[in-house]
Amino acid sequence: MKSKQKTVIALKNISKIYEGPPQVKAIDELSLEIQEGDLVSIVGQSGSGKSTLLNMIGLLDTVTEGTVEIEGQDISSLSDNELSKFRGEKIGFIFQSFFLLPGLTAQENVAEGLLYQGIKREERLKKAAEVLEDVGLGDRITHQPKELSGGQQQRVAIARALVQDPAFILADEPTGNLDKESGMNILNILKELNKQGKTVVMITHNQEHAKKFKKVITLTDGKIVA
Amino acid sequence: MKQRLKIKDLFFVALYGVRARRGRAALTSIGIGIGIAAIVAVTGISASGRADLLATLESLGTNLIKASPQAGFFGTQEKLPDGVVGMVERIGPVEEVTSTTQTDLIVRRSDFISEFEGGGISTIVTSPELLQVVGGNLIEGRFIQDGLSNIPVTVLGSVTASRLGINTLETPTKILIGNEWFGVVGILDELKIHPDLDRSVFIGYGVAKTLFDIDKEPTTIYVRANPTYIEDVVEVIAPSMNPENPDQVQVSRPSDALEAQEAADAAFTNLLLGLGSVALLVGGVAIANVMVMSVLERRMEIGVRRSIGATRREIRYQFLLESIVLSGIGGLVGVVLGTGVTLGYTNYTDIVFSIPVSQVLGAILLALLIGAISGVYPAIKASKIQPAEAVRK
Ligand SMILES: Nc1ncnc2c1ncn2[C@@H]1O[C@H](COP(=O)(O)OP(=O)(O)OP(=O)(O)O)[C@@H](O)[C@H]1O
Ligand SMILES: [Mg+2]
Repeated sequence: MKSKQKTVIALKNISKIYEGPPQVKAIDELSLEIQEGDLVSIVGQSGSGKSTLLNMIGLLDTVTEGTVEIEGQDISSLSDNELSKFRGEKIGFIFQSFFLLPGLTAQENVAEGLLYQGIKREERLKKAAEVLEDVGLGDRITHQPKELSGGQQQRVAIARALVQDPAFILADEPTGNLDKESGMNILNILKELNKQGKTVVMITHNQEHAKKFKKVITLTDGKIVA
Repeated sequence: MKQRLKIKDLFFVALYGVRARRGRAALTSIGIGIGIAAIVAVTGISASGRADLLATLESLGTNLIKASPQAGFFGTQEKLPDGVVGMVERIGPVEEVTSTTQTDLIVRRSDFISEFEGGGISTIVTSPELLQVVGGNLIEGRFIQDGLSNIPVTVLGSVTASRLGINTLETPTKILIGNEWFGVVGILDELKIHPDLDRSVFIGYGVAKTLFDIDKEPTTIYVRANPTYIEDVVEVIAPSMNPENPDQVQVSRPSDALEAQEAADAAFTNLLLGLGSVALLVGGVAIANVMVMSVLERRMEIGVRRSIGATRREIRYQFLLESIVLSGIGGLVGVVLGTGVTLGYTNYTDIVFSIPVSQVLGAILLALLIGAISGVYPAIKASKIQPAEAVRK
């Protein structure tokens, strides 16, 4: 534990209303602070607003009310270009269904993670190979997604999120489509990344997984209840 | 803010969409391919035709004028006034004049064939200059030169030669003209702009007088004039030949006939170009359609790209360029097809092959432009997809 903890994500009284019809208040005046190096899991019933919350933290979605501050900056003032740049450089996303691009090899998929950073293709591919090695897929870099198991695909997706060396890893049910063993493997990778200094926020339906994280946030109807 | 996605990478990204769905890409660009192929083939064929015509006109000259009396009331051949050659020679820009006399002497291969089976071959009495004035060439032998005018020899037009089955002069050959035997001394090459001469046999004035009592009364005159004043010469030739009744003289430029034929072809060309444009339009709509579908299908890809840092503008460029690439592929294939068709056609019809590079480049540019226009709407649509929506499963 660090002696002095720095707040890197601060949500202040945020709400998210989907205009519908019917109108849905997916997040209801929620406030939350996440410290640098946190390892947070978000749990809650289906429809409780977990994905909505994570998307707002990850700047994929905008709030209806309240403010989101990342590293001390109020992001409501940022343009699309600036938000995109921020996402590209600071945030690594991992999704339940992996979302690898079909037709590209594992290495190319991972290299896409650097595409919008203005880095040369050769360098992107080199970096991608390194990160794939780190997640234990050094021998699978020329495979296409359809030639990989679910657990392997998710590790490629993690490598894609990591290749840009983000400060935050945001994962929406990363083990949701995986068997127990693969799920544990992914979980351990996330914990390991946290040890290396990355701030990790993960949504999960698995209580066991959630408990392994330092902080657990429980959502009900768009509010934090624990 | 500076664009961080490099142009080269943008191409890779645009190609990704095409590569990942090759079959669909091929089907999508068919319309453009057909349209461009049609346009390239049509312009290529017409350019080849034009080049060939120019080559023909070049060799024949456009400064030749032909004048003859209007056909008489019963189709009889009228004669021109006496001394007409001299009158025409006095027109300033006229360089050469020669005259011929049309006869009704019947031509036969031998006396086994009855007199009534002449076969549409006419006998023309000519002076030696005719060959040079009309720009004709001999395949074999000689023309009716000075010294041959008084003896019974004849020269065959190209069609006549093949009708009579005389393809070579290796063995001495004689034919019957008006019941007199004439030795064949020359065969002419095809004259192209003088189909009437191709279907004739030529004899000299001397022998025409002694054997058939035909006087030197011209029925047609051929005039070469200075090309700069050719129009003026056409104007004054009839009045100077027949001052009293100039409208009884029919004046024509044989090269006009070729150009008129070419103009008729141009109308057909325009029709085909129109059809090609319709194919392009349909092709463009097809691309727009498929691109819109593609955008809807590829929400996940768009969401992922947005999450790894793609801006709206970069997404927009990606889909715009993809559309241009699709159309460009169609365009390239079309150019190859169209060139192939032109090559096949020119080979088959034995004319000069000519495709203007500017038109090929223009066709490709046109395809790219259509791709760009077709891509605008899908690209904007793609860029407007909210990232959070796109990554929802
Ligand atoms: N685009 C949308 N329009 C309208 N309502 C929406 C939209 N997206 C989400 N919602 C609603 O917002 C609420 C929260 O959705 P969210 O996806 O955040 O839930 P979740 O906790 O992630 O659920 P799950 O565990 O099933 O993924 C739900 O009631 C959902 O129906
Ligand atoms: Mg969810």
